Amino acid sequence: MEKKYALFTGCMMSTEQYAYELSVRESLPTLDVKLVDVEGFSCCGEPMKSVNQLMALYLSARNIAIAQKNNLAILAPCAMCHLSLSECKHILENNKEMKDRINGMLAAEDLNYSGSIEVLHIVDLLYDKIDLETIKKHVKKPLSGLKFATHYGCHLIRPSELGRPVNSENPTKMEEILNALGAETVSYYPEKLDCCGGILQINSLESALTKTGQKLKAIQEYGFSGLVDVCPWCHRMYDARQVKAGETVATKLEVPVFYLTQLLGLAFGIKKEKLGLDLNLSPVDKLNLSEVQR
Amino acid sequence: MSIVDLTSMGEPQSELRKEINDRLSKLKDEISDYCYQCAKCTSGCEAHKLLELEPHKIVALLKRGLIDEMVNSDIIWTCMSCFKCRERCPQKIAPIEILFALKNMAVASGKEIPGKYTTFLQSILSIGAIQDIQEISTRDNKTTRRAELSLPNISKPKDLTKFQASLMKIAVEKV
Amino acid sequence: MARIGVFVCHCGINIAQNVDVEALAEYAGHLDDVVVSKTYKYMCSDVGATLIKDMIKQHKLDSIVVASCSPRMHEHTFRKVISDGGINPYRLEMVNIREHCSWTHDDRQKATEKAKSLIRGAVAKAKLLESLTPLKIPVIPNALIIGGGIAGIQASLDLANDGFKVYLVEQEPSLGGRMAQLDKTFPTLDCSSCILTPKMMEVANHPSIELLTYSEVIGLEGSIGNYNVKIKKKPRYVDIEKCTGCGDCATNCRLKDRILNEFETGMGKRGAAYMPFPQAVPLKYTIDSQHCLFLTRGKCGDEPACKKACLQDAIDFDQKEEVIDIKVGAIVVTVGYDLLDPSSLYEYGYANSPDVITTLELERLISSSGPTKGEIIRPSDKQKPKSVTFILCVGSRDETQCTWCCRIGCMSVLKHVYLLREKLGEELEINICYTDIRSYGKGYEEFYRKIRGLKTNLFRGRPSEVRDMKTYQKMDVFDTTTNKLFEIKTDMIVLAPALVPRINSTELARLLRLTLSGDGFLLEAHPKLRPVDTFVNGIFIAGCCQGPKDIQDTVSQASGAASKAANILSKPSLESEPLIAIVDEDLCSGCRLCISICPYKAIEPVEEEVNGKIVTRAKVNEALCMGCGACVVACPSGAMQQFGFKDKQLKPMIKEMSLQK
Repeated sequence: MEKKYALFTGCMMSTEQYAYELSVRESLPTLDVKLVDVEGFSCCGEPMKSVNQLMALYLSARNIAIAQKNNLAILAPCAMCHLSLSECKHILENNKEMKDRINGMLAAEDLNYSGSIEVLHIVDLLYDKIDLETIKKHVKKPLSGLKFATHYGCHLIRPSELGRPVNSENPTKMEEILNALGAETVSYYPEKLDCCGGILQINSLESALTKTGQKLKAIQEYGFSGLVDVCPWCHRMYDARQVKAGETVATKLEVPVFYLTQLLGLAFGIKKEKLGLDLNLSPVDKLNLSEVQR
Repeated sequence: MSIVDLTSMGEPQSELRKEINDRLSKLKDEISDYCYQCAKCTSGCEAHKLLELEPHKIVALLKRGLIDEMVNSDIIWTCMSCFKCRERCPQKIAPIEILFALKNMAVASGKEIPGKYTTFLQSILSIGAIQDIQEISTRDNKTTRRAELSLPNISKPKDLTKFQASLMKIAVEKV
Repeated sequence: MARIGVFVCHCGINIAQNVDVEALAEYAGHLDDVVVSKTYKYMCSDVGATLIKDMIKQHKLDSIVVASCSPRMHEHTFRKVISDGGINPYRLEMVNIREHCSWTHDDRQKATEKAKSLIRGAVAKAKLLESLTPLKIPVIPNALIIGGGIAGIQASLDLANDGFKVYLVEQEPSLGGRMAQLDKTFPTLDCSSCILTPKMMEVANHPSIELLTYSEVIGLEGSIGNYNVKIKKKPRYVDIEKCTGCGDCATNCRLKDRILNEFETGMGKRGAAYMPFPQAVPLKYTIDSQHCLFLTRGKCGDEPACKKACLQDAIDFDQKEEVIDIKVGAIVVTVGYDLLDPSSLYEYGYANSPDVITTLELERLISSSGPTKGEIIRPSDKQKPKSVTFILCVGSRDETQCTWCCRIGCMSVLKHVYLLREKLGEELEINICYTDIRSYGKGYEEFYRKIRGLKTNLFRGRPSEVRDMKTYQKMDVFDTTTNKLFEIKTDMIVLAPALVPRINSTELARLLRLTLSGDGFLLEAHPKLRPVDTFVNGIFIAGCCQGPKDIQDTVSQASGAASKAANILSKPSLESEPLIAIVDEDLCSGCRLCISICPYKAIEPVEEEVNGKIVTRAKVNEALCMGCGACVVACPSGAMQQFGFKDKQLKPMIKEMSLQK
């Protein structure tokens, strides 16, 4: 099966978290994944849920309809977008009345939602569509000697009744991928499922930073090499806002934070610069990655 | 005969409650009536420790029909939408969804929306995304933007006028 | 020419409100062969019965039509009435104008028209009713009890003391069930073994009870009064005639202390040669064929250690599984329950830490004959805990797990609080996270009050998750009584899991043709009025296999089931409904479709010589036929008919009912 997907970047990744988009575009072709840039996408709608849920549903539906028009499945590296699109699929497939209503509205943009396409995230693309064996084959510079903690975030793992890419109480796919890349991982730490506080950035930045700071503080105390995440909202908190988060918990935080796809690229032998590693504001240099890349 | 909440002098608003329950069953498949107040949601609520949000209380107030006091409050905006309450509830109730409904009601009633939501909405209407391309700092204190990183142009709605028109129509509809 | 009497019941307003009963009776009176047509308010009453009997005598009736409620309610009542009145009880046709008419329609006029056509059909059939004689089936005065826990033990003793022979089958090597695993019972704090063991001994020594431990029921045929049961006796590889229970085999077993002990709920270990617990009945050793080196690999050192050690020469690796057949008249199922594996509520950390245990596992720690000899210590570091936290309703009352209440969780945990206080003293911090405390039974509220007075920290709320901090466990719980969030750091967590049916009870239910209720437990015939009966005549259920309950309710049910079984066994024979299938031999082609369809194995192929040729024909075994009618439907030639529902009786009925009048 050809692995060809419409890349749905969402807002956060394309306007700010460039490192994620860079590392996604650089690392996935090694695994024969073809990413197509499709015109017409808009925000997935998730941030608008609090304002108007019907609008959020419409926004997700139009994006799926556009991908459908192009006969492509969607790869949404942002966990928030992935949830929004997946939830939209779930509602429209189970509620004909709502589906007809949304289609009525989509008509104004010459769009139609007619049956569903697959919506994938990086984690299930790597683990389920490609597989660990294939990933292992492409590893040129294993991440040996490094022990990572993972942050799945909330939207990637819940609510499980919709069907999420990973298990909601004991997710292990990211750890297994990192192990395939040669790194060590810890399968459990007490704060593993804690929220980054990302959404609170919209109306309560101080509290959001406190959530971020609390988790980073614990991770720093455990002494891991770094934190790995798969969502631009989470990464923005842990990486870009790390210093400010540290202030809220009266700690100097120095935790290297990576996107999974950045580590993927590094293990495949791709140069740091191409993976946007200079854009990470957390002290990723601590890990002396060029040394690790023997 | 009659029920009055002596702390707020509020009476149950059964119409509003029915509206919320209808909306919940359209979007999800759940009934808030079944809550037996075990408070597992609040015990695990990510927003509780910092911001004192009590999801089980939100459900109880909904059951009692005391909607206005919630719609007019600030507490409903503290939810982090982490979905833990929905995931772990033994009666399959989702306080998070009730909170979305209450927030939507607050917006629709013309209340001032906290934070950057209005900015995001305006941005979506004008360019299709919650914010425009940002200039960001790098680790060695330089700055850069998307164009400098040889990334393709961002995908935008092809016909912005039609896109805006559709969204404006929805803004006045009820779920 | 038949002489039919039609009797229409008002049933108070149940029928009369929605159906014009007087008009019905009038209408019926004009039908062919109807000699008399009457109504009465409550036909099933004494007055109604007298009315029918008088009419029979007065008008020399030979068939009766009663238009009233469902035959399930009163068919047997009216059969008896007309039999008293001098007519064969099977010359009765019931018309359901209540559940099938009055209770389902709103339009009185249309309902009455419908009732008229129903009566028309019934009268047409009544003309063709035949006099039938019930079959007499001899009853075998033996009972089978499946499951040797307290329910099975009680039922066995009751029936044996009544004078019947009892076979008691138990799948484990010993009797005792769950009660043997308990230390003390609530609310009296009786020592569980002390009250159980004497009963186990009584069973073992009773001359009328044949104890079949380490055995399973694998086949059942027959029907009430006459069951043929196949029982598989699993090989112990120990000759129980020679075994003295000395334990030398277990002490010398090469796998000693290497296998998780199921009796100890995995908290302790045993060898391949083992005794489940010190007070086992029978007090004989067993060799576990799943783990024994000699049985799984063919080699155990130079010579099996147990064989070498046994002075009685009781070890016998040549033992084979044995299948026996027994005949019984009634069966009582008492197979008990399992606990839900709390790993399915992953957030409570059962799978992550050894210090998160279930109530049953704690019971084994408390027990002085348990794996720690009664010391309460943390499984992780064998240290005494300074703080223990209980979480109730783990998987119970949960739409995503078990929707029902486990009934014993609250009381078990209150009991544990008492016992832990006793063992570990005043300094022990005890926390309980509960949603509701259900202390409903006799003496239970008094017990709850006592525990409230014992310095227990009660939190009304449920934690969302437990965090494994390695050296201790941490959780947040919101207490709705004070509206505050509490962080609890504790040494040991005890979960009260849901009670679920035993995993092999589904297979047993299939064998015995028992129905399961929605929650997977065995279904009773009526939740209020027939809690120990099932829908299979002659098979009864008692104890937790019917639904979670405590020991006193279990024992009550067990005695109840025994009494019902005795009802059957005390009769020399039973009357069975003659509405069974019959083969018209001239039409039967021997195709055997009926044989393959019959769920009761009641039809056999019989060869006989006809005109010099050997032909095969179906023959119905009257004692086994339950009158379900499946064979009648399957028969392609119409050779198979059913008494009371023959084609020649049903066709006129259908014809009359479908006329537009």
